[in-house]
Amino acid sequence: MNRNNIFIHLALAFVLILVAAFAGQLNRWQKQWKSQVRRVPFEEKKRPTTVKDIALGETRGFGRPEVLVKFRNGVSQETIESITSRFHDRVEDRIENAAGWESVDDLDDADAAATVAEYSRLPEVEYAEPNFEIELPDSIDGPLVPVLPHDPQFTDQWALANSGQRGGKEGADISATLAWATTTGSDKVVVAVLDSGVDYTHEDLAQNMWVRPASMAPYRDNELGTIDDLNGYNAIDNASDPMDENGHGTHCAGIIGAEGENNLGIAGVNWKIQIMPLKFMNAGGFGTTKDAIEAINYVIERKKAGVNVRIISASWGSTQRSRALEDVIRKAYENDILFVAAAGNASVNNDRSPHFPSSYNVPNVISVAALDRHDQLASFSNYGAKSVAIAAPGVDILSTWLGNQYEEKSGTSMATPVVAGVAALVLSENPRMSVDDLRKRIMASSDPIVALKGKTVAGGRINAVKALQD
Amino acid sequence: MANSKDGAVENARKDLAKRLKIDASDVKEQAVEDSDFPDMSLGAAEDDEMSGQMITRGWRIRLEAQGKTYEYRADKNQVRAYNFKGKNYRV
Repeated sequence: MNRNNIFIHLALAFVLILVAAFAGQLNRWQKQWKSQVRRVPFEEKKRPTTVKDIALGETRGFGRPEVLVKFRNGVSQETIESITSRFHDRVEDRIENAAGWESVDDLDDADAAATVAEYSRLPEVEYAEPNFEIELPDSIDGPLVPVLPHDPQFTDQWALANSGQRGGKEGADISATLAWATTTGSDKVVVAVLDSGVDYTHEDLAQNMWVRPASMAPYRDNELGTIDDLNGYNAIDNASDPMDENGHGTHCAGIIGAEGENNLGIAGVNWKIQIMPLKFMNAGGFGTTKDAIEAINYVIERKKAGVNVRIISASWGSTQRSRALEDVIRKAYENDILFVAAAGNASVNNDRSPHFPSSYNVPNVISVAALDRHDQLASFSNYGAKSVAIAAPGVDILSTWLGNQYEEKSGTSMATPVVAGVAALVLSENPRMSVDDLRKRIMASSDPIVALKGKTVAGGRINAVKALQD
Repeated sequence: MANSKDGAVENARKDLAKRLKIDASDVKEQAVEDSDFPDMSLGAAEDDEMSGQMITRGWRIRLEAQGKTYEYRADKNQVRAYNFKGKNYRV
């Protein structure tokens, strides 16, 4: 071996040593990183898991507590199954690439620590530990654990928690259950539902309805005189009763704020809120521009009188432009009120064929398209890369209906209150947020969806968790 | 009062006869089919009318008179003449 070869071999050996050292360091870094991933053992969950939680949780893949058990070498699968069966447990999964490790599902829903202790005592078991739940990326400070309400029909509310029910796409929802870890709404936020009125006696809405405070005088209009607006405002006959005779307004109200965790029906995007019913559409579900203007004017006046009404949800429209309607929506903007409007159901591009009021170029307007449970733009939904702001679930949406009933309905009408509801959640956490900032927050809160590229300004589905991020 | 399908067809026939100034017996029923309409004015909004943007189940009624076909749209709440001489009318 000549002198040059020795140097080459020495250099190669040095490089190999460096590579090995670097690999070792990588391994240490990996271990370090793994130990730093914030993990929440089940016993640290915010509230105990109940049988109902389990039933609900399983719809989203948040199942029963599990333990990871490492059986000793030579313990047969039959023995493992015999042991788990004796403890009334079930082998949930064999862990590939980790010989001997089994994920064991405790069918009794016992405390994870107790189950671990139970297995650790067995001679066949080398180790047992709780299956830690890895948190989602720290989008919000602190642990983010899904909050699942006990409202019996919640599992049908794919817009809030899409577990793939009825063939849908798992996760194609607004991430409501994670948002609820931060807030479930506030009864200090008032949302006006400008529609066919609201059945304010509905069992799932009654607790969340706005009622004119006793200290506030009845509404007075210079032309119309005094109107006792105890339960809201009816612009059709300028009377006191905004009771819904159609069902559409009641449906929209339930999406925004059906009472949550009351063991009845459904949960709204907000469990707690104040819904102000405004009626300008009749029993047939249609009304005049003039009455819509009267009702918006009412909202502005009530805001000026001290009612914290910050959002108008408008699940209606037409292709006819009205300068007067545009002006009153602008006036709402000047009074810090967001105006969320349906993009329309004609399957057309609003950039070319505008739909009003959603197409008005006023800074407080958010135009909403509808998505189905597969994260696809609904076949009927209008769209517009410049004129339709964002999309939200709007097909087969379960919500409140007349006579304490619940029905599934479809339309950009149903997508609109989802966005209004998320805006209300944001205000519950940020009560002083300006309408400009609120709109910006909503627009920045979407999950990108390929199907929406070039179809809406945001190009995605609204995400309530992102909307709550500072 | 809520419309039945037959009641809606009858109202449509009477309305078309009135508009064309002919006898209702000269208006023939061509087809009646269940249909989903894009909104609560059944995709046949009158001028200055706003409607809920909810898919609405109803009936598409095709009538024939004086050698022409006319379309009406109806649901349990309403009957509308669709695009009659370029305009929509609530009956």
